[in-house]
Amino acid sequence: MTKKQTCIFLIIVAAVIAALITGIVLTDGLYERDATIQETMQDVVLHERDKISLFGLAVNPGLISAFIVTGVILVFAAIVRIFVIPKFKLIPGKFQMLLEQAVGAFGGLARSNSPHKNGFLGAYIFAAGAYIFIGTLFELVGVPAVTAAGECVILPAPLSDINGAITLGCLSYLVILSGGIAANRLRGAGRTLKEFSLPVSMSFRMFGALLSGALVTELVYSYLALSFVLPVIVGVLFTVLHAIIQAYVLTMLTSLFYGEVSEPYVKKPKKQREKKVSSKTEVVQ
Amino acid sequence: MPLQLAAVPLNIDWQQILLHLLNFVILFAGLWLLLYKPVRSFMQKRREHYEKMDADAEKKQAEAEKARAEYEEKLAGAEQEIASQRRAAELQAEEYGARQRREAEELAKSILAEARADAARIRAQAEKDARADVAAIVTDAVEKLALKESASTAYDQFLAAVDAQSAASKKPAKGARTEKDHD
Repeated sequence: MTKKQTCIFLIIVAAVIAALITGIVLTDGLYERDATIQETMQDVVLHERDKISLFGLAVNPGLISAFIVTGVILVFAAIVRIFVIPKFKLIPGKFQMLLEQAVGAFGGLARSNSPHKNGFLGAYIFAAGAYIFIGTLFELVGVPAVTAAGECVILPAPLSDINGAITLGCLSYLVILSGGIAANRLRGAGRTLKEFSLPVSMSFRMFGALLSGALVTELVYSYLALSFVLPVIVGVLFTVLHAIIQAYVLTMLTSLFYGEVSEPYVKKPKKQREKKVSSKTEVVQ
Repeated sequence: MPLQLAAVPLNIDWQQILLHLLNFVILFAGLWLLLYKPVRSFMQKRREHYEKMDADAEKKQAEAEKARAEYEEKLAGAEQEIASQRRAAELQAEEYGARQRREAEELAKSILAEARADAARIRAQAEKDARADVAAIVTDAVEKLALKESASTAYDQFLAAVDAQSAASKKPAKGARTEKDHD
């Protein structure tokens, strides 16, 4: 590159930056919020003002996100089923390998944590993992929607809605319970019910993790000074990390507890009991 | 009568929970049918295919090992068989040589016997011829004596004729002796 070309390049870059800054400053007033940041963040948590009408029902934006995410995943799965899977080869290509890795990873997680019974578990954690991962990445797209009050909102991740998080937490608990009952009948049910705090902890863990991400993002976007460079890290990196971590945590916990409650009961031999009793009596003496 | 939202903390809505549940059940069923099951099925078939290939390869290897052991066993047997056949061939060759030698000896004996018979026959013939010649000479001499010469002259002629006849008859007799010595 000659000196002349370098000068032209630098002038163009400087002009573009100046134009962008001018535009940002001039358009700042157009996007002034009606609510304060406190009210906005309260809305993110409680969704009292930004409900969306779904066939006459006032629902949280997270539910609309959930439907969209499900639709996208199912359309993708249908396309893959029709056009890709019939052309699978013994020596896989890149996309086939990606699909096999995804399915194999969740199948392997189920098999390693629950070696005795894992057929249904593998399918469940695959669906849950895909839902959490893609649902969390969904907030990066920034799909707009109109609220019942006529305001515009950006659709959040489905699981940043407390109802979505409770659904997945409780459903995971029910899956664990069903695995316990299927493998060990009443003993399995007892083992699962012993962990009664599990649905609450799983639900609120996921809700808290995703909500905190949404709150931080909202906070960052609320200030002009934080709108340069930082959203790239906060918006993309944190969201991607959230997606991976939350998908892994819920699926791992579910498969772990499922394996624990579906483990076959092994009766302790009598000799050990007798030995224990005799050793206790010796200690007492 | 609809539930009061304000009564539930954090705006938890049971209706929306059920909607989320419905959404996830649809997602689970769809993913299981469209993606999870077919991919798992394909992976399972591929695993079975490779396991079958592995089993076939092991089976073929075992068969090859068995065939190799059999071949080595046969090879060891063949070497023994070759040695025994070589011994048999040597014996057969020795026997054949001995038979040939015997036949040659027999042939030589028969040739010698024939030669002796021929020699005896020739000698007898020569003696017979000599006697006839002597008789002829004697007859001739007697005729000459009786007709022309005196007795002493006749006798001298007779002696000369005998000497000449004996000198002539010595040559075949000497040849016959040489053949006898030769035998």
